[in-house]
Amino acid sequence: MRAPNKDIYHDSAALHVTGKSVFVNDIDLGNSVLLGKVVYSKYSHANILSVDTSKALEINGVKAVLLAGDIPGVNQMGPVIHDEPCLAWQEVNCVGQAIALIAAENADALVRAEREITIEYAPLQACVDLKTAIEKNMLIAPARRISRGEVNSALKNSPHVLTGELFTNGQEHWYLETQSALAVPGEDGEMFVHASSQNPSETQAVVAEVLGLPKNNVEVEVKRMGGGFGGKETQGNHVAAWAALLANATQMPVKLHLFRDDDQVITGKRHPSQSKYEIGFDSHGKILAYRVEINLNAGCATDLSMAILERAMLHAENAYYIPHVEIIGKAYKTNLPSNTAFRGFGGPQGMAVIENAIDRIARYLEKDAAEIRLLNFYAGDNTQITPYGQAIENNKLHQLYDRLLQSSEYFERRKHIQDINSKNDFVKRGLALTPVKFGISFTTSFLNQAGALVNIYNDGTLLVNHGGTEMGQGLHTKIQQIAALEMGVAVNKVKVNATNTSKVPNTSPTAASSGSDINGMAVKNAIDILKARLADVALSEFATRYPGHQFSGEFVIFENDTAYYSQMPEAKISFQELVKSAYLRQISLSSTGFYRTPGIYFDRNKGEGKPFYYFSYGIAVSEVELDVLTGQYQLLRTDIINDSGSSINESIDIGQVRGAFIQGAGWVTTEELKWDGKGRLLTHSPDTYKIPAVGDIPCDFRVELLKDSPHEGTIRRSKAVGEPPFMLAFSVWLAIKDAVAACRHNHADPDIQIPATPEVLLKAIKEINIK
Amino acid sequence: MSQSVRFVFRGKIETLDEDSCGLQPSTTLLNYLRSKKGRQGTKEGCAEGDCGACTVVLAEVGDNGKLSYKAVDSCLVFLPMIHGKQLITVEDLSYSENGVTKLHPVQQCMIESSATQCGYCTPGFVMSLFAFYKTHNNPSRDEIVDAITGNLCRCTGYQPIIEAALNACVHHGVDHFTSAEAKIVAMLNEIASDPSTIVLETKRQLYMKPLRLQEALSLRKQFPKAIVVNGATDVALRQNKRNEIIEEIIDISDLKELKGFKFDDHQYIIGAGSTIEHLRGFSVNEIPALATMLSRFGSLQIRNLASIGGNICSASPIGDSLPVLFVLQARVVLQSIDMQRELAIADFISGYRKTELKPDELLTQIIIPKSNDSSIVKSYKVSKRKSLDISTVSAAFFLKLNENTVEEVRIAFGGMAAHTRFASATMGFLLNKQWCRATVDKAMLILGAEFSPIDDARSGAEYRRSVAANLLLKFFLESVQPSNNLS
Repeated sequence: MRAPNKDIYHDSAALHVTGKSVFVNDIDLGNSVLLGKVVYSKYSHANILSVDTSKALEINGVKAVLLAGDIPGVNQMGPVIHDEPCLAWQEVNCVGQAIALIAAENADALVRAEREITIEYAPLQACVDLKTAIEKNMLIAPARRISRGEVNSALKNSPHVLTGELFTNGQEHWYLETQSALAVPGEDGEMFVHASSQNPSETQAVVAEVLGLPKNNVEVEVKRMGGGFGGKETQGNHVAAWAALLANATQMPVKLHLFRDDDQVITGKRHPSQSKYEIGFDSHGKILAYRVEINLNAGCATDLSMAILERAMLHAENAYYIPHVEIIGKAYKTNLPSNTAFRGFGGPQGMAVIENAIDRIARYLEKDAAEIRLLNFYAGDNTQITPYGQAIENNKLHQLYDRLLQSSEYFERRKHIQDINSKNDFVKRGLALTPVKFGISFTTSFLNQAGALVNIYNDGTLLVNHGGTEMGQGLHTKIQQIAALEMGVAVNKVKVNATNTSKVPNTSPTAASSGSDINGMAVKNAIDILKARLADVALSEFATRYPGHQFSGEFVIFENDTAYYSQMPEAKISFQELVKSAYLRQISLSSTGFYRTPGIYFDRNKGEGKPFYYFSYGIAVSEVELDVLTGQYQLLRTDIINDSGSSINESIDIGQVRGAFIQGAGWVTTEELKWDGKGRLLTHSPDTYKIPAVGDIPCDFRVELLKDSPHEGTIRRSKAVGEPPFMLAFSVWLAIKDAVAACRHNHADPDIQIPATPEVLLKAIKEINIK
Repeated sequence: MSQSVRFVFRGKIETLDEDSCGLQPSTTLLNYLRSKKGRQGTKEGCAEGDCGACTVVLAEVGDNGKLSYKAVDSCLVFLPMIHGKQLITVEDLSYSENGVTKLHPVQQCMIESSATQCGYCTPGFVMSLFAFYKTHNNPSRDEIVDAITGNLCRCTGYQPIIEAALNACVHHGVDHFTSAEAKIVAMLNEIASDPSTIVLETKRQLYMKPLRLQEALSLRKQFPKAIVVNGATDVALRQNKRNEIIEEIIDISDLKELKGFKFDDHQYIIGAGSTIEHLRGFSVNEIPALATMLSRFGSLQIRNLASIGGNICSASPIGDSLPVLFVLQARVVLQSIDMQRELAIADFISGYRKTELKPDELLTQIIIPKSNDSSIVKSYKVSKRKSLDISTVSAAFFLKLNENTVEEVRIAFGGMAAHTRFASATMGFLLNKQWCRATVDKAMLILGAEFSPIDDARSGAEYRRSVAANLLLKFFLESVQPSNNLS
């Protein structure tokens, strides 16, 4: 059945446009709420000799100043490895590491108190860049390896071999809503936290841990986030823990909303990477062997770095079959804030290397890079296997490629661009096509589980609770549609509740693009249970109304706010009547639901398994125009085709594709993180850190979802869409590179790292003209 | 002397004095709104005018007696600056009709285009589009892009917001504000009928808002240490980002004498209090090189607040308007209660964020000589991001040829030194030379050598040096073949 309201609008859209949607910082608790502030390290590595808070405590309006020693529970907030203290004591390991917390009645008192806190440091030697960390081999955990075949001999026997290095910088999440939490103490040590967190269960765990409470005394609720993008997968826990500590100490509600610059300084980012590779290929451009070493800058604590590294490795070959391959992954400890999840979760760092390598092969062989890509795509006959042993099934690459080549008029435009470039010395155009194959599932297999709690009230309305969080991606809207479709009621009968740890426990983060896949299935499971109960009630009703007929449960259909008997359609009852009848018959109208993704596993030591339930595919073509004299560029046109299976909500899915692509375009172009030699972030506010503005999007931006492409085994045959299109932005990066190469009539292979700022490009233009 | 700020809000005149709100006089409009119950729709995203999440609309009575609606960043507006204006926030756009809530067309179209995801930036976009709606019908994509350049969104990729604007702006600006306009104008005129200086004093701050130039000049004499603000787009950052308390403020944002433009056959006289946006509009036909630069100045929200006088007096090393004013040989008029003097702009700027302005003076006018028809004037701004970014390098060129010989040339750069500077050595070299590629190639080498730019968060010194030289080449190419432009 097709959705009755296939493209309902985002369930908060009307609230958003009227300014009525409530974010954590908007929650009004009257005058009783205190404001919190975090005082953080100014040094990237130092011993703390002393902290004097006495003067700060004397300031009028200041209610508490806390240090590590004031933490009643465990001073720890590392999500996987316990290597991240909640408040530093004795030693700080990055600029931005929290040392003290202040609660006060107003912002003015907070500012004055912060000025009155004296911290004495003894600076220690620091390592604040990846290059030094690699030289000193400062691994944060043992290296990982995935391999297949005989890469050494295959490289040796390859007719052509290219070697190189690629640096990709980090990326600041720049969610519009900075990290925030409001902690409200309850009776007998209970703590309620309104969080802006992609992972309320872990927020609950961290708050419980620092307060020394059992988890059943801590309740975390997430109504919505003003953007997350991975930045609130673990690091939303931090502000929640700080707010909870202050609320606990003062026994008053405490709101902690990070100032933008503080957020940018304190929180971790996308991992910068430095990769080395060797790629062997034949004269057609067929890849024979590939060896890559991916090095990530983890920052000062482990956080999710090893999982991110794993995903980078699992995407090192992207969409291409490579017979002999070796992928080494290493994560290094540096004195920077701990880098963390960010849309793509390592995938971008892994894929960038192979995409650049293929671009280089094309330039080396003087062929069109799109054709080299096609030549190396995983075969369409589902016979080929990834380096980690997972078979490629339902490969859509060729279908997407054929469609996009045509719709984007790739070869016609290639010709036109060559013509323009031959006539202009100072304005050059570039064109590139890049594909994405992205694995869907948490590679930490046990996380692939989800819970739900569906309540039907006796007026016939549904309240759906599930473990996923809403950060703008439209998860709640899709869940609302799924629940309505599965229950056969109108969408306006269904409300999706704020995510709350007391409703659905032990949930996984809303991450890995899996939000609707796993939570949607859990909701369906709960509704299936409820439908079975209601079907029994319907049978009893039908039996009373049609005495003498035999009715059987399997023929009860729920549709259009009605339950009816498929073999005898006149036997029907409205959903509302049915619910009322169930209530009077003392039947439970509430059910939990659960889902675990079947058949996936991954052996980290061997680098083998089936880590992904399926792959998501997309391809993009981008065209840019470069000003050769300044290195500035304009994105002229982008065409994208993306496989979303049977989309649950097309406008939401297209919104994800567009948004991810532009975010990726920012990473590869203007978003430049710069630290000084002492590990202090120079680009700590939007006047120096430039995310894309409206003028940066393609002048002509065409996004299409692959039609008639249902995927078996997923919720309503849909596919995940949150992260994969991020990496389609490599088309922008490589189109820019193409335009730079055109400065030497394409007889050059410019070395362009990520991000390709105008500065980088002007330098590259200069270099290829010198060579 | 008056002790209250009066503005129209929710259809009524609101009066604020230092007691009634318990806030510092220079509290930002954003913080004022967020302290009010039911006004949490306006969001803080950065507190520095870079994200637009706090955008509100201020309406004021224009020269034609009608309301003009301007989007501004409320994080950069000191509360007394809304005196005599109508304040409109996102909560005011929907209205009730027969008990049913009706959305404004821009709100309805935002929903229908799926132009909102996480929603945090949405109120800001809605307000920018509302101001745009009031002044545009069937707009072009470029006009829409300009109107929302000052609003950052991290979710949607902007395309649906552009679509929403296209769909919404088809009613010639008519909406429920249209019918209330006469009433609002009357209220604003009533507020304007009292021209007495507003003085707000708290324990830590003295805020003075004169409404006449003579008053302003005598306050300037009386309080020589007071910080003068017009748009406050620069000064507000000291408060928002460094938590400074500015002890004495003279707010000249409502001095009518400092607004507007006059011109004759020889020169343009520009009121120093004119907003950048107002001046940009005026310059499009009159001084195109200035318009080029100003159209990439901040965002519309910032251009609606910032003044040309403020931009000059901040004497920023980049100061987008300065290179153009340098090559046009603009002069500044400096006035105190006792005297008036004029200085060449290049003499006025004396160092890194330093000028020749005396403590009792105000910059009142900028005089720009009209250039000869045969001269070529161009300006360029180079930045990491094309729009709403601070220049890495800004440049302006003035060239007058006799046949093909350089008869007069001026070149000025921002971002290449501690303050805007002429490229004197290059200018000296070019004078009386043939205007050809060979000359320019040599001049580029001289240009590269005569500046010592710095490395900073925006770029390295080497990039600045290369770009500065390349801009000379770019100017040359455009001077001989005007169409060689980035599309």
